[in-house]
Amino acid sequence: MKALMSLGALLGVAGILLLGGMTFDIVPSTTIRLVEGYMPIQMLLEVTCYVAGFAGLSYMLSAMGMAMPRFWQGIGFWAFFLLYLKYRVYPPIPFSVRAMYGTVSLVAVFMWVSANEEDWKKFKQPIMNVLDAQTGMNKLLRYAYLIILPILIGGFSFNAMMPKSEEPIELRTVHPAPPASTKVHGKTYTLQTSQNPYRVNPEGKYDQEFSNANIVEQGMGRLMKPNANPWDDKNTGYLKYVREGGEIFFQNCHFCHGDNLNGRGLHAFAFNPIPANFTDPGTIAQLQETFIFWRVSKGGIGLPNEGFPWASVMPPWEQHLTVDEIWKVILFEYWHTGYYPRTWD
Amino acid sequence: MMDSITRKAGITAVVAFGVVLVSSAGYSIVSAQGLPEGFKKGDLAPEPSAEMIEAGKRVYFTKCVWCHGVDGAGDGPGADRLWPRPRNFNQGTFKIRHTASGELPLFDAKKPIAGQNDLFETVTHGLPGSAMPPWEGILTEEQRLQVLSFVTTQLVKDRKFTDKQSESQTVLQLADLKPKPASDESKKRGSELIVEKKCVECHGMEGRGDGNAFNLKDDWGFSIQPANWHKCWNFRGSRQDPYNVSNIFRTFSTGVNGTPMPSFADNTTVDERWDIANFVNSLCERDALGNPLPIDPLTDKPKINFVIPSDLVEGEIPADIEHEAWQKAPKRYVAMGGQITHKPRNFVNRIDDIWVRSLYNDKYIAYLLEWDDRTKSVAEAKLPWAPTQVNIDVKEQDPKTGEEGSIAAHQNNYTVYNDAIGIETAVKWKELPAPIKPRYLFGTNDQFPVDIVKWEADGSLRAFKGTGWDKDFEERDNYEESMKLLKAEWKNGRWYVMIQRPVGNKKDQDYDEDTFFEVGQYIPTVFFAWDGHNGDAGRKMAVSAFFYTFMNPPVPQETYIYPAVIAVGVVLLEGWVLTRRANKKKGKTL
Repeated sequence: MKALMSLGALLGVAGILLLGGMTFDIVPSTTIRLVEGYMPIQMLLEVTCYVAGFAGLSYMLSAMGMAMPRFWQGIGFWAFFLLYLKYRVYPPIPFSVRAMYGTVSLVAVFMWVSANEEDWKKFKQPIMNVLDAQTGMNKLLRYAYLIILPILIGGFSFNAMMPKSEEPIELRTVHPAPPASTKVHGKTYTLQTSQNPYRVNPEGKYDQEFSNANIVEQGMGRLMKPNANPWDDKNTGYLKYVREGGEIFFQNCHFCHGDNLNGRGLHAFAFNPIPANFTDPGTIAQLQETFIFWRVSKGGIGLPNEGFPWASVMPPWEQHLTVDEIWKVILFEYWHTGYYPRTWD
Repeated sequence: MMDSITRKAGITAVVAFGVVLVSSAGYSIVSAQGLPEGFKKGDLAPEPSAEMIEAGKRVYFTKCVWCHGVDGAGDGPGADRLWPRPRNFNQGTFKIRHTASGELPLFDAKKPIAGQNDLFETVTHGLPGSAMPPWEGILTEEQRLQVLSFVTTQLVKDRKFTDKQSESQTVLQLADLKPKPASDESKKRGSELIVEKKCVECHGMEGRGDGNAFNLKDDWGFSIQPANWHKCWNFRGSRQDPYNVSNIFRTFSTGVNGTPMPSFADNTTVDERWDIANFVNSLCERDALGNPLPIDPLTDKPKINFVIPSDLVEGEIPADIEHEAWQKAPKRYVAMGGQITHKPRNFVNRIDDIWVRSLYNDKYIAYLLEWDDRTKSVAEAKLPWAPTQVNIDVKEQDPKTGEEGSIAAHQNNYTVYNDAIGIETAVKWKELPAPIKPRYLFGTNDQFPVDIVKWEADGSLRAFKGTGWDKDFEERDNYEESMKLLKAEWKNGRWYVMIQRPVGNKKDQDYDEDTFFEVGQYIPTVFFAWDGHNGDAGRKMAVSAFFYTFMNPPVPQETYIYPAVIAVGVVLLEGWVLTRRANKKKGKTL
């Protein structure tokens, strides 16, 4: 038990030092990077580590006879969590969301300190001590709070009322509901029944299984399957179309969506929000191929209002590409990211 | 006592000896071994294993082939539209190295150590300012080493990384050369040295890359341009650490192979090179306090604040940039991307950022726009198409490299139009429920038009109404009288343009065409920029995303009153709690 707790304490101290160092720029802020597409999991893991670390730390301190009062433990962890949300998480989350997480964690801290009567009493004790001011120290503290609190609260409200020019928060729907059908180059496509004509097996028939077998390996650093090189001259069917789609992608799309389809192309930094990241499991992996077909064909202009059509530079690609080229690009995007398109069943 | 004096004397002697040693080393640039100062002989790395090469092939044909091509000749499907172009590996010419000019870069498939593996670091951190992205987090360390094993052994064809007969390695010992502090003295010496060493001939008098802007070509005959020292985040070798002076020192010591940038190792001392690096580094844009700009880890460019604050001035808006009001106004970085979505598409965007400040008074709002443009371009004679025209007939696909009229052949050889800048604001932004805006490329339709103010290098300042990305601008009449060009100057590779326009008032404003600038509101604003020597005109331009002009309101009275009231309330509350507690302790109930 003791060994476990010591390990926890070590972990906690190391983590806190690292995070603190990264916050104050002593340690390079890129020491531990948030891995694309795995950020929520990574955050959960990190927070778990910190909880374990804090538990171990407080155990160690009390074992050494320097027990930290329950009151400061609770406040300390809460403050730590708020700092974590503000400085660690990137891209930054809006204040409103942070406030939500902050409230939830405050409730959790309260549940923890009031788990039983004795704990709750211990937690309240420092507050009561100051209120009662039995000792000289507490008396001093009481006067200090008496003066500091009004100043602080007055200051905060002054700060809140001062006119500011912060960026307004705009919550955009990333995947708005698609229409039932879309008309591209004069032909109507019903999104529920249309299929990618290039997802074919060597016999030329639509075959999801065949193309799945040729899709790259899952996981980070997705690469093509051995012996499934789209650049092989002998290729016919699926892999040949993947290459043709890739050529179109790299002539038109990668300037924004990036060489790795992660939304960080050459011009991406100028846009707000930066272009869609197809390697994130939340984008094309969640969508049907026909949804992508609709989005690519109609561009930002074709989005409904909740999708912020005015904030997107994505053009209606039907003006630059043929229907066949659009399908090939979609085929390439799934091949390159290693995702399977969602199906309608 | 005696003892301590002898010790002091001893230390002084040692220090003096050290100083003599160091300074004498400074005079002999070439050391005993015949190597430039700061360099050491290195060994060629062993050839990577066959398995690594084979595995690297899979990485290459998944990720790299699209730009660098099947044979590594820098001719993949994306290459023709990229500028700078992707690297041609065949000749074994690489830009960013720790090795002496002309030598192969450091690469060892077993050693992914910073400073000892140039190619690995390039793949890891990418080459900012070009399309090469950082591959860290996408490819594992092993995959990055594998793909480099493939490239260095199979795609580099004219040279061999392991051939001891023809290849040697002279390595810059950057880890042992501690940077010299960037004192004013060092920077001053650096500023003299860049003139003496003729850096300014290419990089320009202010280091904006505007010297010799037209004549530079790389080893393959493609047009390139000298670096702009004010944008260190675009330095190819910045390694995602743009303000690090060591990167500049390295580039300056080793040269950039394949380009006209030579190595200065042979004709400068290490000390001089640090002075130059310190000076170049000091030119990079910084915030008002002189601190490096925060860099956005998502894009490796400066972080963007999408609000353009405008401060109130009493009386006339000053036309002098040095005026206190302009100096105090916050300066915002506006990132610009190439307009590649509507024809004609601008794949080779030259203007990637502008800097904006704003002031207003009761009648007018003024924008001060500054941006780097290596050439002052003013159109001469009649042009093939009118720059205000939107719907022109453009062919879909540019010819390929090698064919006539390709992007590569065009570079620095376009029809010259006027340099220009445009500010687009939404006209009926108040009628649109927030956050809805008109579409930002020239508005949505007649119902929700945009108001475009455009300045051109011929000195004209005109206003247009835009009613859709596929419709021509409509020029607004009588608007020239109400606008004013306060300043327009091109100096050493940078434009300084100050435009003043009416804020509008409720009585006589034409709300169908005019934007009403209201204090304390977020007014959607977009910036456009055209580089005349890049053939930019009409929709071939650089665009920003939606920013907001925000006219800072004067602080209202309540801001001072309410917090005071709240503070008094807190005091009363405290008194109540304490009294209650005291009473409870005494056993009283209220």
